[in-house]
Amino acid sequence: MNAATVPIPPADATRSTTCCEYCPVACGYVAYTWPLGRDGGPAASDNALGRDLPVGPLAGGWISENMHAVVHVDGEPRNCVVLPDPDATVVNVGGEHSVRGGALARKLYRPDGPTSDRLTTPLLRVDGALVPVPWDLALDLVAGLSRHVVDEHGPLAWGMKIYSYEFFENTYAASKLALASIVTPNWSPHHAPAEGDDVPGLSDAGIDAFGAAFADDRAAEVILVAGSDPYETKSVRFTQWQSAGGSRLVVVDPRRTFTAAWAEANGGLHLQLNPGTDACLYAAIVRDVLEHGWYDHAFVRDHTATRAQIDAEPKWRRARFGRTREELLDELRTEPDFSLTGAARVTGVPSEKIREAALLLSGGTGPQPRTSVLFEKGVYWTHNYENTAAIADLGLVLGATGREGRATARMGGHQRGGVKAASYPHDLSPHSVDGHPVEMDTERWLVEGNTRLRWVVGTNWLGATAGTSALRRRVAELTSIGRPVERADLKHAMTRLRERIDAGGMVLVHQETYPNDSTRYADLVLPAATWGEEDFTRANAERRVRIYQRFMDPPGDARPDWWIFAQVGRRMGYDGFEWPDADAVATEAIPRTAGSRKDCAVLVEVARTSGRRVHDVLAEAGTTGFQAPLGLDGDTITETTRLHADLRFKTASGLANFVHVDWDAVKRRNRVLAPRAELGEVWVLNGRINALWNNLSDYVRRPLAMERWPANLLEINPADARRWGLAAGDLVAIENAEVLDHVGNTTSGGFTAVAYPTDVVPPGVTFTYFLYPGSEANDVVAADTSLQPLNLRYPFKLGRGTVRRLGRAPGIDGMSFAPRNLVPSSDHGGHDHGN
Amino acid sequence: MSLTRREFVIAGGAIGAALGGGIVAPVALTWERDRSGEVVAVTARFPEVRVARWPELAVGETTAFDYPAEGQPNLAVRIGRPVEHGVGPERDLVAFSSTCTHMGCPLEEYRADTATLGPCPCHFTTFDLAADGIPSFGQATQHLSRVLLRLDGDDVVAFGVRRPIYGHADPLYGVGVRVLEST
Repeated sequence: MNAATVPIPPADATRSTTCCEYCPVACGYVAYTWPLGRDGGPAASDNALGRDLPVGPLAGGWISENMHAVVHVDGEPRNCVVLPDPDATVVNVGGEHSVRGGALARKLYRPDGPTSDRLTTPLLRVDGALVPVPWDLALDLVAGLSRHVVDEHGPLAWGMKIYSYEFFENTYAASKLALASIVTPNWSPHHAPAEGDDVPGLSDAGIDAFGAAFADDRAAEVILVAGSDPYETKSVRFTQWQSAGGSRLVVVDPRRTFTAAWAEANGGLHLQLNPGTDACLYAAIVRDVLEHGWYDHAFVRDHTATRAQIDAEPKWRRARFGRTREELLDELRTEPDFSLTGAARVTGVPSEKIREAALLLSGGTGPQPRTSVLFEKGVYWTHNYENTAAIADLGLVLGATGREGRATARMGGHQRGGVKAASYPHDLSPHSVDGHPVEMDTERWLVEGNTRLRWVVGTNWLGATAGTSALRRRVAELTSIGRPVERADLKHAMTRLRERIDAGGMVLVHQETYPNDSTRYADLVLPAATWGEEDFTRANAERRVRIYQRFMDPPGDARPDWWIFAQVGRRMGYDGFEWPDADAVATEAIPRTAGSRKDCAVLVEVARTSGRRVHDVLAEAGTTGFQAPLGLDGDTITETTRLHADLRFKTASGLANFVHVDWDAVKRRNRVLAPRAELGEVWVLNGRINALWNNLSDYVRRPLAMERWPANLLEINPADARRWGLAAGDLVAIENAEVLDHVGNTTSGGFTAVAYPTDVVPPGVTFTYFLYPGSEANDVVAADTSLQPLNLRYPFKLGRGTVRRLGRAPGIDGMSFAPRNLVPSSDHGGHDHGN
Repeated sequence: MSLTRREFVIAGGAIGAALGGGIVAPVALTWERDRSGEVVAVTARFPEVRVARWPELAVGETTAFDYPAEGQPNLAVRIGRPVEHGVGPERDLVAFSSTCTHMGCPLEEYRADTATLGPCPCHFTTFDLAADGIPSFGQATQHLSRVLLRLDGDDVVAFGVRRPIYGHADPLYGVGVRVLEST
């Protein structure tokens, strides 16, 4: 696209309300559709924007070339503009947006463009190739094989791996099938081998991970940003709520990211720690704050538990690891690594800088600032329990909870779209720690040959999991046992696949929007309708519940996930899968949010008493939605700005408690995971970058994203690049000769990427995008959950490997290697949004 | 008065015009597109405006000018090495709109060592002028609008733009838009 014009939606364009599909901020968007050749004009009265064009700076309402597409509505081609809501009053006030959401229109299906390879029909693998089959055949096959597995091999042999976030309606329907009907513990989210809490240390302290409101970021005077780069990954939260609010940021990150550089240029700090040493850094700050009496005395006195109260906690982990302030300080004092000098040696952060951080966060002997502690995957996708425990301790000594500008919370990875029809059946899990059940490690279970049917929904499982190639090899074995299906015939396929199941093999069902690495191994592929193609409901990271309306046709025969689960549930003989539409699913699902942070159950009551559909109640609330938990005051819906506002916590006593930080466990794990200098290894960290999102399912079909990132990057410090003889644009192989696989055996892993020399990373540390197709960064990451038995999570961020030049990278002509952490020079800063 | 772009359509024509000596030089036009995004009709012709003098352009220094309408600011700069779409004997002269394609704030920081324009003071997008004005980092959803240039003797002549300019649905058309006269 190279013309200088974009079409203007006319005043009578159809307007739909939605939110961005991607990051947890979930900016509000509007979608306009209108017939071709009926464009509006630049005068406000002649367009749907209600604005004269051209618009001025920060006005909202400008349509860039990537905000427009042509889609089909009711079978007819229509212009479509997906625009950051210029009239938004929350989240992205005034139409602010990121590069990801701003180009949402480019993800939309069209039969004649880059998105034309959407899955449009069910597919069955016949003689090695995927061939189209009718829905009835596909659904009968999935239901028949599922029934066979459950009846003959037991519910634990039937597994589902599914996104945890892709809308209330879909997660509810899936869990109704897997957890309420089949009742299996063989259920895990897209990002982890096991169901369960991602931030167990925080939970054991009694703190809700999503208690903060975005307004708290703006009200905070100091924000600790740990293990996340909000500018790149939660962009509008940074630009509109953090940087614009005048907060001083203390950024904890091994990389000198844009956010870190911005923090230092604006009165904050960058604590550039060695990878894997986070818990030590936080523990040292906590010790310093406690020893000097800089902690929030009133809060700790009135709102943290005594030893007797901790002992009385019914949750075993909390009872075992819960600590009082005195106990915590005693433990921190006995660990030499937690002194300022010890921590400086371990973390690489100078002791003066650790002290400076302690003073900034706590206020020292002066007035206590409004401080928030915000974190994400750099904290909990490494040493999961210990890091989240240390973060909780830090939040509690600072009293960073429940009050304006004071929160301890995740910033979120994706949006919050999970609603379960039934609880996870812990009692059925085959896995435990010290006699206490933990959720099933579904990957270990599968690799051991126990899973006979796995249904993968909306995730690139075999391109994303730690120990990627080892898992692929095992899946290839399990799915090739016995004779292949040779005809697209229900009875024949059922017989052949049952034979495989009974011979110890596995059937793989893959439900997706586009083909990906998992599709290559699938026996059956089910095409899913997605964002913009169905009415859906979801919450964001500040618990704001909103509708994502349908505004275009799904491609071909693609169907929403909830419909597919319902069809299989009915064919398996289960009751309760008779929903006529998505609103009916929402009406059943939303009451299940009662008591949770997403509690919006009153919306169903309001809909019923006012004779409306629940989706209509949400649609009327537009991009503002409702901030949960919700209540009713007469006829008025009440909202909740922040959790813990009553300074009550999610413990039996209602009091928070400190949590033990097992530093010895971290040190033992680091000895297994850390690079070995004698072998020339370096850290291979991974994460998101600004212009891409997750597994790139639609980004590889967005021209701007592919022009910017035609290949995966490997950030390398210029000194390392010189040492290895590398220049920008070289193709490199990253190889880890010793990776622990899913059952604890040693294997190897590797991937390729394009060298991107930059001072973002220090010497000895590299960084790559975590899910670039064909560049499996997680193949150099350990997949053995016995490394973290308390909570079965992979240390995704702690990969290691050697780096070797392969030659010049092909196919990247014109790729920019410009620096990615430039901050405005001081004479250009100081932008104020005025809101 | 209410105008739509369709009413503004003039007869479609070849994109390119023969000059003396049989040389074909580009002539910039703005277009009507069909549903696939293909150009189907020519809607207006950009003015040809002398915006700088080649001998006065030093490598790494920017020259500001409005184009194609009043109040549409651009920067011309010699990158110092041949770049995509560069003009002049060194193929290093480019010009881009200096209005950020994220939310319209003015881009003022050109860094010669990295050939980048930005970060934008509002939301920190940076553009790589050596790579066709692509947002190399930040939140903008499209490249900077690029000004088409050619040398006419020592004169640098602007004769069109590629890609929408922030704020505009059409660079030549809108409420209060005053297109420059050809010089």
